[in-house]
Amino acid sequence: MSAPKAEERPAYGYFLELQSRWMDNDLYGHVNNVTYYSYFDTVVNYFLIEKGGLDIHNAPVIGVVVESQCNYSQPVAYPDMIHCGLRIGKLGNSSVRYEVGIFRNDEQKASAAGHFVHVFVDRETNKPVPIPDQIKDAFLSIMKADAA
Amino acid sequence: MTEYLDWRKEDFPFHTRVETRWGDNDMLGHLNNVVYNRLIETVVVRFTMGPLDIDWQRDPCYPIVIESLCRFHQQLSFPETVTACLRAGRTGGSSVTYEIAIFGEDNERPASTGHFVHVFVNKETQSSMPIPEAYRKVIEAYQR
Repeated sequence: MSAPKAEERPAYGYFLELQSRWMDNDLYGHVNNVTYYSYFDTVVNYFLIEKGGLDIHNAPVIGVVVESQCNYSQPVAYPDMIHCGLRIGKLGNSSVRYEVGIFRNDEQKASAAGHFVHVFVDRETNKPVPIPDQIKDAFLSIMKADAA
Repeated sequence: MTEYLDWRKEDFPFHTRVETRWGDNDMLGHLNNVVYNRLIETVVVRFTMGPLDIDWQRDPCYPIVIESLCRFHQQLSFPETVTACLRAGRTGGSSVTYEIAIFGEDNERPASTGHFVHVFVNKETQSSMPIPEAYRKVIEAYQR
């Protein structure tokens, strides 16, 4: 169960830029630890929608989270821009491990890094099913980008 | 490596009850994954303010989180009240790992398990420092 080390931007094949919000900061004056997981599920779902064609309202297959982890190296704080890097750590038949890097503004080294594991299940039965082709192709496309 | 599925409430010396709220559910009809991490943070914070009695204003040091992990075993939903349970795990010179299990209203098995790692830092220098002895004694009393 080793966490990905804080890494540099080229290690990630897909990026989404988010504007941090006032309420993201806690009493310590930087983004609250839990909020990073909101960045994780935002970049993962945006990727699934944009590249994998996921219809979050009607798709018969949905991703459910079975594990998430984050290692915090440096704080980020509102009003920083949050650059979320995404790559595929491990691709199975019905599950995928995403690895996410959180980069502050133009910094090259991740301020935090972690992972997020999805199992794809039938929306009705909740049973695991193979990852839909279009989504799998999206994963493969950024895995190739990772390798390049 | 799945012994955490057998964790029971009685394995944990510190419990806190948390009411869920309407907005905690996401569009799939159960608590959003981020909210589970909020529950983990909540039991840790209640432990630090209760048994550990940390005073953020007065004390020369405070804990910051360097790692958190959450495993999702069962779905929880508003409006249930959940019980978040904590025990102290491994301690280092300046860090402590809390082990956490979250239980739904009607279940003996944990809906979620995970951990949360705190490092004590000096308020002035922002660098890590040994766990103050008074805190260490309390933490050790909550190890199982």
